[in-house]
Amino acid sequence: MSTLKEILTRRPVAATIRLTVPAGGARPAPPVGPALGQYRLNLMAFCKDFNARTQKYKPDTPMAVTITAFKDNTFEFTVKSPSVTWYLKKAAGIESGSSRPGHVIATTLSVRHIYEIAKIKQSDPYCQYMSLESICKSIIGTANTVGIKVVKELD
Amino acid sequence: MALSHFFKHLSFASSNGFCTLSRRFIHPSLTSLFKNINGKTQPSIPTKISHPLSHCYTSASEPASSTLLSPYLSVRIQCRKDIADMFSEALMCFGATSITVDEDDNCDTSNEICIESIFPESEDVDVCISQAADSVGLKEKPSYEVETGEHYDWIKKTQESFDPVEVSEGLWIVPEWKTPPDAEATNIILNPGLAFGTGEHPTTRLCLLLLRRLIKGGEYFLDYGTGSGILAIAALKFGASLSVGIDIDPLAITSARHNAALNDIGPEKLRLRLVSGNTSSPSIDEHKDVRKQTSCEMVVEPEHARYDVIVANILLNPLLELADDIVSHAKPGAPIGLSGILSEQIPCIINRYSPLLDNISVTEMDDWACLSGRKKLTGN
Repeated sequence: MSTLKEILTRRPVAATIRLTVPAGGARPAPPVGPALGQYRLNLMAFCKDFNARTQKYKPDTPMAVTITAFKDNTFEFTVKSPSVTWYLKKAAGIESGSSRPGHVIATTLSVRHIYEIAKIKQSDPYCQYMSLESICKSIIGTANTVGIKVVKELD
Repeated sequence: MALSHFFKHLSFASSNGFCTLSRRFIHPSLTSLFKNINGKTQPSIPTKISHPLSHCYTSASEPASSTLLSPYLSVRIQCRKDIADMFSEALMCFGATSITVDEDDNCDTSNEICIESIFPESEDVDVCISQAADSVGLKEKPSYEVETGEHYDWIKKTQESFDPVEVSEGLWIVPEWKTPPDAEATNIILNPGLAFGTGEHPTTRLCLLLLRRLIKGGEYFLDYGTGSGILAIAALKFGASLSVGIDIDPLAITSARHNAALNDIGPEKLRLRLVSGNTSSPSIDEHKDVRKQTSCEMVVEPEHARYDVIVANILLNPLLELADDIVSHAKPGAPIGLSGILSEQIPCIINRYSPLLDNISVTEMDDWACLSGRKKLTGN
């Protein structure tokens, strides 16, 4: 629950911006530029901040970032790790999922891959309360929607 | 404003130009970008600049790439409030580069919300929106309107928000189009353009405060990763006799040169050099493009073991990779400052630099840190 002080000093929000930016590669060019420039946010401060915080990821991994722009031209942002589908596609080495998920299988992955992905996802803000097992189950569910089958061992 | 014309040509938009941007930066078509600048800005640059841009980059021979300056598509979509979140995520999956939800547009009475989305020019907006609507479960396609956005729009907007900033007592950073609030103080006049360093960021401030303590007068200073040139210019104002600024981003070099001129600093006192983005030492240029570009600059090789003070305000990974190179340029016992790191990254940097530096001390501001130490006297 927010404290009373937080509620009183809560700044009015001008907009919420969602972006995909490569890790360590934020620059004041599209997509960052037009989206943030519109609300007169300090582009270079965002780029530097974002790049510093994403140093631990492999360069050019597309990170999902949500920026809250306040009316006084300040902003806050949270960075999420790339989407599960991106990790799945990367692990399987495919560009796009199956065209008919559920009917046509694009490729297969082993349980070990899912486990590795789940470990990365566990550090995401919205997954922290979930057990590793439930994160794995949710990843398998996502894999099914893109036509990736999960097997115990890859032969 | 004459300068908005200048910066219109400095901007570059193509997403494909930047997906491969790790540290290998030199994009060949950028040299032709600067050829455009030569023609356009000569009439509008004020006469006090003694070193006009036309001297540089005239050897470009690559054809101009039109995708660098292509505008973007800005689409406004109406959709229901309750599915707005999911719909935005779906749009991102299908090709939008950014989604903005403006709080002001929210009308409490209607349950419709307006989403503004940006697409690259080549994207088929219609297909993308239908696919996103399908995947979310919307029965009919939401209504939308498309407009093309130009780059100078958002560049101009961000520039309007810079105000003079007092970094410490008697030291102000003033944007070019404002007057210094205190004419007696040390004023650094800046127009950062698209390079980093407006003076507001904690790392820039930490480095400026460090410089103020370190520069006593007459030193040779190296700004490793100069950005807008702010640290190099500050060093000269504090009394250094020579500043050299290097960067892998050609925009940074252009921006720094412009800022040097704004502060009446000539190219003999502030030398700027574009270096190649790979990890080899900047003084040995195997990279053909870089040699072509730097052939007409007044070049001073950042020679090894020649600088009295070095500051590198970049990012954690480059600092780790380039540690040996950064330290090699300093005289033994010379102070070296490192920044652009978050407080949580300090142990990593200390680990990497403790074999190279003595007396390591850390200053912090907000969440950012600046490390300073002296190069070890023994060894190289």
